[in-house]
Amino acid sequence: MYNFIEHVNGSEPEAVEDEAKYAQFMERIENGEKIEADDWMPEEYRQTLIKLISMHGISEIMGALPEKEWVPKAPTLYRKLGIMAKVQDEMGHGQLLLRVAEDLMAPYGRSREDLMMDLLSGDLKFHNVFHMETRTWADAGVIGWLVDGAAIISQTNMLDASYGPYQRALQRICAEEVFHAQHGEAIVMALAEGTPEQKAMLQEAVDRWWPSLLMFFGPGSAETTGSSKQEVTTKYKIRKSSNEELRQAFLDKYLPRVFSLGLTIPDDTLRYDEEKEQWEYEQPDWNEFKQIIKNNGPRSAERLRLRELAYENNRWVRRALSNEPVVQA
Amino acid sequence: MTSIDTVEALLENNEALQAAKTFLFQLADDDYITSFRGSEWLGLAPHIEEDVAFSSITQNTMGHAVLVYQTLEALGEAEADKLAHARPAGERLSSVYLEKPNGPGTYLDEPHYDWALAVIRLYLYETWKKIRLQTAARGSIRPVAAAAEKILMEQPYHLAHWKMWAVQLLDSTPEAKERLEERIAEAWREAGDMISFGGHGQTFLENGVTADSEEALQLRWLEEVRSVLPAPAELPLKEAGDGRRKEHGSDLDQALKTCSEVFTSDREAVW
Amino acid sequence: MTEENRNGSSFYQVYEVFSKKSASASFQLQFSLLAPNEEMAMMMAQENFMRREKVVDIWVVRRDHIRGMNPEEREMWTNRLDNKEYRTTKGYGYLRRKWREKEQDMLDEKEILSWKEVKKG
Repeated sequence: MYNFIEHVNGSEPEAVEDEAKYAQFMERIENGEKIEADDWMPEEYRQTLIKLISMHGISEIMGALPEKEWVPKAPTLYRKLGIMAKVQDEMGHGQLLLRVAEDLMAPYGRSREDLMMDLLSGDLKFHNVFHMETRTWADAGVIGWLVDGAAIISQTNMLDASYGPYQRALQRICAEEVFHAQHGEAIVMALAEGTPEQKAMLQEAVDRWWPSLLMFFGPGSAETTGSSKQEVTTKYKIRKSSNEELRQAFLDKYLPRVFSLGLTIPDDTLRYDEEKEQWEYEQPDWNEFKQIIKNNGPRSAERLRLRELAYENNRWVRRALSNEPVVQA
Repeated sequence: MTSIDTVEALLENNEALQAAKTFLFQLADDDYITSFRGSEWLGLAPHIEEDVAFSSITQNTMGHAVLVYQTLEALGEAEADKLAHARPAGERLSSVYLEKPNGPGTYLDEPHYDWALAVIRLYLYETWKKIRLQTAARGSIRPVAAAAEKILMEQPYHLAHWKMWAVQLLDSTPEAKERLEERIAEAWREAGDMISFGGHGQTFLENGVTADSEEALQLRWLEEVRSVLPAPAELPLKEAGDGRRKEHGSDLDQALKTCSEVFTSDREAVW
Repeated sequence: MTEENRNGSSFYQVYEVFSKKSASASFQLQFSLLAPNEEMAMMMAQENFMRREKVVDIWVVRRDHIRGMNPEEREMWTNRLDNKEYRTTKGYGYLRRKWREKEQDMLDEKEILSWKEVKKG
């Protein structure tokens, strides 16, 4: 899901590694074979996967937090149950993905604990959208429909990923995303067909989320922010398409639906170029994007604080059970 | 005692109807507030795996509240969503002990939540819930018994979950044991209204809402709890308030304000 | 040495065998076998249970090391009420009609999984 991959330290291409092994590895990848956790893999592949999947996983965990703000407030019993199940799934997706990342990190003696520490220290980044604030119930709808929609576009693109454990996790995740998409659609549909206040609330949320949605896919090219590593993920057949291709796919799928609900997009230059067969749009502020993912977004500090508190306040629990667990008779 | 087999028959027997409704409101309001407190925990549990497991229990508990509110709806009360969202604190029968916040702070701001409170409170509550449902299932009012039987189907793993946490933590470090024991002592100071029928015990029994006396059920609860926790041998427990008599503190006001914030912003709108 | 070990009885340890048919498949329990240790269990596993089928990976796990449910737990812990439409797509079937009114399609499983392939830019 997270397409903005920063430069990975210590993973210069295979100067010292066994060239024969590398050639054989690349042949497996080319043949569409799946790589497993204990297979030989080039350092660059492992590092790229760790970076990608730990970001993806921790973004799911952090992504639970903005929506969670609306869980207790959901306006009907059915919505309360639906959004609880949906946010639970996000935590569940985080669990699947972090397990995949943790197994990849195991050779370095690193674990879940290190990932949490990296998150809190700012070394492990999470997705730009989850640094943003939520203001109204319509945010729960827009997150479920459009933010998740963007995530679905990115994730389905990796359903054939060369790394077996990641690909299998994504299969499970994408199957659940169908429910998420409809959960989001249902909230949005009720607001779009509701009172003038409900419609206004929905439009305001769409306007506010628009730049974040464009940013979601990462910059179109490395020049924009100076450090996109998207070509590495395509070289190793982890994903198929570029950031811009994914953004275009998102606009293709969702804009007609947005317009069909009578909603507008806050960009006067937005239009579909029939000749190029792609959407023209105003670029979001990529400098702001860089600031956001450096944990300088509107709600970065508060969201991290929640994870920090969960970590700190439960230290005694981890300490209590970290030895041989007691098995109940 | 003759049994009351249908909703229609219950609607014609006012004394039994009032007893049944009081019992059901106590149950549904307890589950509703318990589920609310559980939903505040989402994302803050000791680890991710527990977050996922805890959330299913929280959802099921909300599902139980829905089922019971719907039963009340069939008995002539307002629709379930209104029962959950539109009743003021002064009409609620939930236990004040269950309304107590998860810890200092709010779920949005500086939640210093205490896992020892979660484990002890939910273990004590689920034990009481099982006993209360079992007696209703053996009672002679079929619509109440049917709801109780349904909930009893999936409730055992909730109880097993919290029992596991309590047993493991009590048998771990002195630090953990001390934290749990403090919460047990607190429950004996505050949880009195949770295991109470609020003066309706005799009416419940006489009308067949329950099959056992309140005292017998409380003793059963004490015995079961003491087989797991190092808890005091004596009853009654003291209470922090009497929710069964609609006497609540500000904790419930805060909870309801949050639960109903969007609902009350436009009660006629479809959400 | 106990009487039992003199007879070599502890040679017979129960191992459960799991296997995977393809890289994208999940592990599936196949059957169990007896072996004195995991190395030998692994050696026995494929020919005992997967002689005629493709296998890409195998796990053997000593049965003692599996914490399964006991009969009472199976009875008590596995029931769920049939009231969870809210967590499935079943609860949102009505959206199909609503989107049709707006000349759009609902996002169902078929549509979403078709997004695997994206137009080249």
